[in-house]
Amino acid sequence: MSELVRSYLVVALFGVAAVGMVAVMLGLARFLRPTRPTRQKLIAYESGVDPSGSEWVQSQVRYYVFAVLFVVFDVEAVFIFPWAIQLEDYGLFGLVEMGIFIAILALGLGYAWRKGVLRWA
Amino acid sequence: MSLATLLAFERPPIDWHAIAPELTLLVVGSLITLADLIWTERIRPLMPTLAGAGLLATLIPILTLAVDGTDRVMFGGAYVIDDLSLVLKALFLIAGYLVVLLSVDYIRNGDYHENEYYSLLLSSLLGMVLLASSRDLITMFMALELLSIPAYMLAGWRKGGATSNEASIKYYLMGVFASAIMLYGMSLLFGMAGSTAFDDIRVALAGPDPSGMAILGVLFVLIGFSFKVSAVPFHTWAPDTYEGAPTPVTAFLAVASKAAGFVALLQLVYVAFPTREDVVEPFFWIMAALTMTVGNLLALRQTNIVRMLAYSGVAQGGFMLAPFAVVGDAPEQSIKAVVTYLIIYVFMNLGAFAVVLAVAARTNSGEISSYSGLFHRSPGLAVAMTVFLAGLAGIPPVSGWFAKFLIWNALLDASSPQGSLLAVVVAVNAVIAFGYYGRIMREMWMSDAPEVTEPHFTVSRALKAAIVLTIIATLAFGIYPQWAARFGDISTSLAL
Repeated sequence: MSELVRSYLVVALFGVAAVGMVAVMLGLARFLRPTRPTRQKLIAYESGVDPSGSEWVQSQVRYYVFAVLFVVFDVEAVFIFPWAIQLEDYGLFGLVEMGIFIAILALGLGYAWRKGVLRWA
Repeated sequence: MSLATLLAFERPPIDWHAIAPELTLLVVGSLITLADLIWTERIRPLMPTLAGAGLLATLIPILTLAVDGTDRVMFGGAYVIDDLSLVLKALFLIAGYLVVLLSVDYIRNGDYHENEYYSLLLSSLLGMVLLASSRDLITMFMALELLSIPAYMLAGWRKGGATSNEASIKYYLMGVFASAIMLYGMSLLFGMAGSTAFDDIRVALAGPDPSGMAILGVLFVLIGFSFKVSAVPFHTWAPDTYEGAPTPVTAFLAVASKAAGFVALLQLVYVAFPTREDVVEPFFWIMAALTMTVGNLLALRQTNIVRMLAYSGVAQGGFMLAPFAVVGDAPEQSIKAVVTYLIIYVFMNLGAFAVVLAVAARTNSGEISSYSGLFHRSPGLAVAMTVFLAGLAGIPPVSGWFAKFLIWNALLDASSPQGSLLAVVVAVNAVIAFGYYGRIMREMWMSDAPEVTEPHFTVSRALKAAIVLTIIATLAFGIYPQWAARFGDISTSLAL
């Protein structure tokens, strides 16, 4: 067995342990707890509010656009943080480089703005 | 080594000339988007012109690089500009220009989002141009996603149509699935080589492989790209996507996107995996034989021309896969055959799509029956379509014959039993393929025109230009095959 496969053995053992632990905990609870189901207990839990309507609710499609825009800035942040730490070393070159990156992303935001995506209408 | 020296940053040397094509394309794409934001409606009619001009402008730095002729290696070997990559970049850009010509009227008359259409087309092309130079797993993956993601959106461009949505979703899901498989393969290769550079992977693959991890890694990466080139059994998305997508986008996917898949396969097989012929050759043998046969047999049964061209494209992909099955025995002939086939295929297939668009603009139909008596209604289109179909079928003097000839040449040069057997499979399939290409020719030339009182055929200027350009290229490469072969000869430098 090669070194690599052996080191994956740890992962496999970890997986077995994880499944086993959950099984033991749920199994024990099942034997120890009293079982008295009532109608109220069986309804889906929705943070204390009575669930109403079908579970196939339609959420507002307009949230989708904001989710997409969020991803843009999320990724931007992922790149900017490590860059900011090293900015002194990168110097002018790094500054211009990041400027181009942000400009391209800003173009995306400008596009969304201009196309009226940001208006809640 | 202290942390400070480890983190010390040294500005990488950048060869601006070498990445000028990519920068031009990026700037043009961004400017188009910006122009759309500022002048929205007023700039609309100019969009195709701007996009086309941008693509042609990108050819200029490629020409100067070609004249210069030196190989340039950048970013620690991850990005290589050599003659082959320049030829392929130029091919992608020309294919992109032809697709712009095909799109002009379709996109304008359909009341689609013209501005976005062209910026997405340019980003996808930028991905292809990057792909042609990538010699590193990460660069290659980035380029692949850059070319794929705009293509998923373009496939769904007819937003109101159910089939277009289906096309986009199917393409997207299969594409993402393929990317996942490929990434898994890449992770295995990286785990083994400890580097993402093709050169390091080649060295690592030559070493011992007791766990068989290298085999899995190589196979998974190849399977990922097999989806892109719609090789059987990974072709299932292609017909539905091709039929549902707007026809110019179909042309783009069937030609440019597929060519990009082959370019990636070439780089992988020749630069990263040359020491694992034992895995690569049988894989491609089976894929090529299956792809040709299944594609051709299914194409025979189609009644819709776009669907037929989709299956014919699958089969053509099978022909292009065939030389990969003998990369070990005939490396130079194989790469030459693939590159030449790609160059010839781009023109004849785009030409066929241009005629389909011209006919559909008038008859509003994609059925093969709508080509009945096309010769009586529009002799020019009938002749043009005949040239392209003859090219796809491989009848001299139209260029396709030379492409098939090089395939046989490579397969027989390998002088191995499996190579010769595959050559027989190719020959049988070339005959089957004539069945469905010939059927359309018969419809056009021999059937009577249906009793319809449709107005006289007028073909728009852009489509006319596209048809004329592709017909010139198709005939020229058929009559003077050495012109196409020259580009094929350049490519042999990749075969070490």
